[in-house]
Amino acid sequence: RGKMEEGKAYSPDGVFAHLEMLEARAHEAAVKQEETKQQEEKLARLKARVQELRLQRDELRAKVDLQQKGQLGKGGVVSDPAQPSARAVLEWKIKSVKAMLQVFYLTGISGKLTKRGVCFCISTAYEGTYLDSYYLDLLAKPEVQIHRHSVPVFIPLEQIAKKYLQTDIRRFLSVLSDHLNAYAGRRYQADQLQERFSDQIEGTLQRNSLCNLLVFNYNVSSKSKSFPFNVRLLYGDLCCSLPTEVIVSCTPDAPASLAETAAAHSDLFRRVALHEAFRSFGSAEEN
Amino acid sequence: MDNSICQVYEDEIQSLEEEIKFLAEKYEDSQQESTFFSDEEILMSIKSFQREFQGESKGHEFSSDLKAQLESLETDLSFLMKFTGIQFTSHSKKTVEKTRNRTVRKHRLSGNCCSLSFQLEFQLLEVQNKENVSAVITDLSIIMESGEDSDVSKFVSSTEEHGNLLTFFRSLSSYAEWYEHRRCTFLHFK
Repeated sequence: RGKMEEGKAYSPDGVFAHLEMLEARAHEAAVKQEETKQQEEKLARLKARVQELRLQRDELRAKVDLQQKGQLGKGGVVSDPAQPSARAVLEWKIKSVKAMLQVFYLTGISGKLTKRGVCFCISTAYEGTYLDSYYLDLLAKPEVQIHRHSVPVFIPLEQIAKKYLQTDIRRFLSVLSDHLNAYAGRRYQADQLQERFSDQIEGTLQRNSLCNLLVFNYNVSSKSKSFPFNVRLLYGDLCCSLPTEVIVSCTPDAPASLAETAAAHSDLFRRVALHEAFRSFGSAEEN
Repeated sequence: MDNSICQVYEDEIQSLEEEIKFLAEKYEDSQQESTFFSDEEILMSIKSFQREFQGESKGHEFSSDLKAQLESLETDLSFLMKFTGIQFTSHSKKTVEKTRNRTVRKHRLSGNCCSLSFQLEFQLLEVQNKENVSAVITDLSIIMESGEDSDVSKFVSSTEEHGNLLTFFRSLSSYAEWYEHRRCTFLHFK
């Protein structure tokens, strides 16, 4: 009775509660200590890794510098003072053959033999700029057939295959390459126009997926806010990146004097790439 | 506080790893470009390589692996040359500039297509974008054997002016196709 009067802390429940609290505190402290220890270990590991990498990097830098100096000094073929191992020679040859295979990519048709046929890669380019490449996985047996490909749906692949695949694979690839390169060329011109002359075009260029129909309103200078010319470009030959039909007209509110210019443009667009034509407007404006 | 120090270290580690990769590539490129082994040296190496690993069963994997890899690559190359009609006789390249995102290499390439032989020099600029690597040809120079022919020289100078390397090769290949077709037709009538 007397004990109970001194306060709950000394009751059996109170003691257990107190003990629990002490245990909890001790546990927390232990966890924190463990965390701190782990954090310190992590920092030490990271620091050591940084030192290791710095050393590696410095060694490589010195190696590369020496290599550059050696080449400048002799001006000829640099050879390792030690005799190169057979493995090193083979590895050199493998890299050399791989490099030549990469050059084939630049020629427009490259590929790799597979277990059941060949996987061709058709690359496209506009002048010196290489654009997308497309692959064709061909099977040789029982007859030549296309297993898989990445040719876009709007390119008449089936038509071309039907005509040439069985009789002349080279011709098939050649014709397909013409289609793909022309498409890539048309798309490139439209993209360049949109990118570099956007202030001379009203809104965005209207085009179809094959990029053989373009319609837009434009101006020859970037300073004006009106777009007095409207053009419709039709590329009737899918193997060509120049239009077969060009209609340039003036918008109803345009001055009549522009009609002559419209006719000149009509002729220009038929002969010159789209973005090159716009570039010539810019230099004409300066004059 | 500790976390920010960790982050600083981790950032430096990443940057160092990238730099190391870049330097290693630069060193290897330079080694590759300044070395040359003749076909005899390569044949000898293949033989000695096979002898080295004749007894060892462990090394045998590496030996046949490298040799098989070389054979597979050479088979692909000879197939492409036969198929396109474009035979490359020599190729060398030199890295002119290399930074994190840009590489400029000067290429020298010679070969022939049927009876037409050519020698090319060009610079290839490769830029690493977010999604892919873009490639642009500059300073294209073409020497053709039958260069005196006015049609050929017109074709060559127009191609050089616009850096039209791909068109050049496609035209050569077309010529080879036509040449082959003509030859077969001719033989047919013999």
